[in-house]
Amino acid sequence: MRIQFWGVRGSLPVPGPRTERYGGNTSCVEVSSAAGTRIIIDAGTGIRRMGKELMRAEFESGKGAAHILISHTHWDHIQGLPFFAPFYRAGNKLFVYARQRDDQNLRSVLSLQVDSPFFPVPFHKARAEVAFRELHDGAQFEINDVVVSCARLNHPYIATAYALSVDGAKVAYIADTAPFTDILFGHEFIAGPPSPRSLLSKSDHKTLRTMRSQVVRLCEGADLVIYDTMFTPEEYRQTPHFGHSRPSDAVEICHDAGARMLALYHYAPDRSDAEVDAVLASTRKEAKLTAPKLDIVAGFEGLDLALGKG
Amino acid sequence: MDVTFWGVRGSIPSPGPGTVRYGGNTACVSVRLPSGELIILDCGTGARNLGISLLAGPFGKGKGSATLLLSHAHWDHIQGFPFFGPFYVPGNSFTVYGGRSGERLLEDVLERQMAAQFFPVQSFRNMGARMEMRPMGEDRDVRVGSATLRAHANPHGPTPALAFRIEAGGKSLAYASDAGYGSDGPPQAAVDLYRGVDLLIHDSTFTPEDRALRLERGLSSLEDAVDCAARAGVKKLALFHYDQDYSDHDVDELVARGRRRLAEHAATGIEVIGAAEGLTVSL
Repeated sequence: MRIQFWGVRGSLPVPGPRTERYGGNTSCVEVSSAAGTRIIIDAGTGIRRMGKELMRAEFESGKGAAHILISHTHWDHIQGLPFFAPFYRAGNKLFVYARQRDDQNLRSVLSLQVDSPFFPVPFHKARAEVAFRELHDGAQFEINDVVVSCARLNHPYIATAYALSVDGAKVAYIADTAPFTDILFGHEFIAGPPSPRSLLSKSDHKTLRTMRSQVVRLCEGADLVIYDTMFTPEEYRQTPHFGHSRPSDAVEICHDAGARMLALYHYAPDRSDAEVDAVLASTRKEAKLTAPKLDIVAGFEGLDLALGKG
Repeated sequence: MDVTFWGVRGSIPSPGPGTVRYGGNTACVSVRLPSGELIILDCGTGARNLGISLLAGPFGKGKGSATLLLSHAHWDHIQGFPFFGPFYVPGNSFTVYGGRSGERLLEDVLERQMAAQFFPVQSFRNMGARMEMRPMGEDRDVRVGSATLRAHANPHGPTPALAFRIEAGGKSLAYASDAGYGSDGPPQAAVDLYRGVDLLIHDSTFTPEDRALRLERGLSSLEDAVDCAARAGVKKLALFHYDQDYSDHDVDELVARGRRRLAEHAATGIEVIGAAEGLTVSL
């Protein structure tokens, strides 16, 4: 199993000298199996360069196939799709997956992004064959030789975590989620941090506990967990209602799941390269006590990992 | 009049080592009038850094006001909107002018960007600042504070894009991002809009060779930009809205070609610069 990072940033792309090393593109990770199954997780702006890379091989002649798993449809996870070159070549086969919604189907959500007046090329002009598949929380299915599992995350409007197993290895992808402690996110708008007096209801507590245990199960024995580490502890105190985690939350989940390696991911737009270096160093230091066996890396554009065989 | 570039890129932000000098953020320009009033041209991702700088002043205390002019609703001109800090400070007040993109009113367009499927804030009404949306009249003068504004709709693929002229305190600026003129060049009304300005910021997405391969995109080459500047007799031309795949080196080359082209026009009195993030041009 080969894993390549194409975009590691949260919220919006942040070009400039402060983000040159880790990269300013939004979320996108590519997973490919030894047998050649190609799965792309999230379609932030990082997918643009990957698409250009794919066009150097079978996608150029319209003979490519790829599966795109979308964690949720916030902009930083879909905004690269209209710039994914393989979409515009007849013959390519693209399968797009995301959580099922009550209100709107996946195709129409993604169509809106490329409809007038926002983008000049509507979906029906994309020449590749595009199929959509909607998933429910807890779904498990196969994409060729890869087994995919899903779990619900704690994020505004709800996001999905994915685990992919193939070639004797497992990777879990958890962007974006809040910790499973202070707020239960659903579809409603949350304007600010919860007041100190407002306690979570018993049933909300229970929902969060269940959600957490399902995420831990999803990560169980993973060779790599890619996890939302947008916030510092101080930032989390100010904006817990944004629905993102701290490195310590990621370490805890990895520890409980017995995962081997954690990749920090989905950095806040303000986080400079030097600050990511510092976050990595402090997370490693703290984890020496709390999760001594866990290997920790910081995701960056161009990070290329081989797990298991192939 | 101080004109500052916050985003100069077209289509999609292009982070990376190849774009650090000119910048990879999408279209956003701020104009500080001699009276102190603020006009913002387009709201691509460059608007985020503009917002951060404004929060250090009255906008951080909810005492700021500005006019925002949107050329059209393609993503690279509005995607900074949800990330513009001053929108989240109650007390700030904004008047947003735009065209009727695809028959949808501005408010509807911006609200769709904020919708729950796409952004956690769910509605621009949840942002805090006071916002008033107004359709921009075309080809006639509109008075906004101490400035006189005029807009003209340029062809831009399937939808038009507004070009703006701003005059205040005896200085003038024209902003023409995303202009895809026909084979006979810019219409007279566009040239009139740019006529004699102190600074013309003009779409210069492509080299002529790249543009020829992508005519349907409705964008300009550096030659279109330079020809407009020469015909309109402007004082200074800033190339703008570079293709997402152009490196800093490629943009250097665009600027050099622009200067050579002016020499061919024998219009060497016009200064050509390449717009770059962080650059301020004082008129």
